[in-house]
Amino acid sequence: MTSSGAPSRNKVLSKIAGNRLQKELTEWQRNPPTGFKIKVTDNLQRWIIEVMGAPGTLYANDTYQLQVDFPEHYPMESPQVIFLPPAPLHPHIYSNGHICLDILYDSWSPAMTVSSICMSILSMLSSSTEKQRPTDNDRYVKNCKNGRSPKETRWWFHDDKV
Amino acid sequence: MVLGAVSAMAANQAERLKEDGNSCFKKERFGAAIDAYTEAITLSPKIPVYWTNRALCHMKRKDWTRVEEDCRKAIQLDHNSVKAHYMLGLALLQSKEYANGVKELQRALDLGRGANPTGYMVEEIWEELAKAKYMEWELASARRSWELNSLKETCEAALNQQRALDMSRTEESSEEAYASHTEQLKALDRVFERAAEDDKPTEVPDYLCCNITLEIFRDPVISPSGVTYERAAILEHLKKVGKFDPITREKMDPSKLVPNLAIKEAVAAYLEKHVWAYKAGS
Repeated sequence: MTSSGAPSRNKVLSKIAGNRLQKELTEWQRNPPTGFKIKVTDNLQRWIIEVMGAPGTLYANDTYQLQVDFPEHYPMESPQVIFLPPAPLHPHIYSNGHICLDILYDSWSPAMTVSSICMSILSMLSSSTEKQRPTDNDRYVKNCKNGRSPKETRWWFHDDKV
Repeated sequence: MVLGAVSAMAANQAERLKEDGNSCFKKERFGAAIDAYTEAITLSPKIPVYWTNRALCHMKRKDWTRVEEDCRKAIQLDHNSVKAHYMLGLALLQSKEYANGVKELQRALDLGRGANPTGYMVEEIWEELAKAKYMEWELASARRSWELNSLKETCEAALNQQRALDMSRTEESSEEAYASHTEQLKALDRVFERAAEDDKPTEVPDYLCCNITLEIFRDPVISPSGVTYERAAILEHLKKVGKFDPITREKMDPSKLVPNLAIKEAVAAYLEKHVWAYKAGS
């Protein structure tokens, strides 16, 4: 499968998207969500965010990195969010860093922010009871070989219990 | 009857000339477009669109005096023409008629709110208005800050002088007098800091900002779930993302949006007091 969505990802941000990201960045710096650190770059379109596993969970003392890429028409389209290697071992996180989380795809809403996405991901990590890959990991990762974005995956979402 | 037929013919011809003007305008042949609109105006001088279209051509050529003339004529014919008020506002700002220019832009914004998305100009008008207001604020606040500073210096000097005078009278300087003098200087600092607060850009309160744009409301509308959004943003969401409320996720139809006049008033009152909030990204 070719990645048809790739060109749109590389387009520059629209004015609305740029304004909004600037606001989100300012707000983040004023009031950063607990457990996250943003790596400052001059690229507003790609954010690298450090995630620290919450104390008292399986991921305590672990540190991971999220890469967030914003499309031209953010927030009318969701950002692409993946873990940079090594991705945490988790039943909803594939070894290539793709995350199975409905709000990143079908259930996206423009009222969500990077900060609220981060909180959702941290809570997903925190509620896990075992450190393991999704059962279909190998098959999924093989299918993504040619650099396909997780936004092009047709996700069927795992249950919410984990 | 003959007369009626003649004027109908004239009207038809004027419409055709307008179309010609529009296609010239699209090709950026503004001179030719102006000629076409001028002919249309000669045939049917009472159609406001001919005047505003011609004004737009003049605007492209930065011929602001003519923009003003044509817009004033259009407003005479149609008091509610958003475009005429908007371009008149820009023309007045160009000729340094600041207060009147802002007034026209504000009028255009009021008229433009609630218009259906085709020809919705609110964001464009807002940007020009915001630019003008912010510039005014920068000048005024710099002046105010300079005035406050020099007043503060004068007050401090007076206090110090008073202190020197007291010391020369009482011969021995008491600890107490010294403490009270420092207290007074500190109090003066606080008073002046308070006075400068209104001119210090801070954060616009969340309840005056849209959850989608994160910016202060221009044209707030309320959803059936009771959440307020920026009209253009929520309409785009309903068109592109889905027919649901972005916060509550309840199903929603665009026709169910209602202007939120209370928030609109609150924004106006806030901007009146905190003019710096016109600047995006502040």
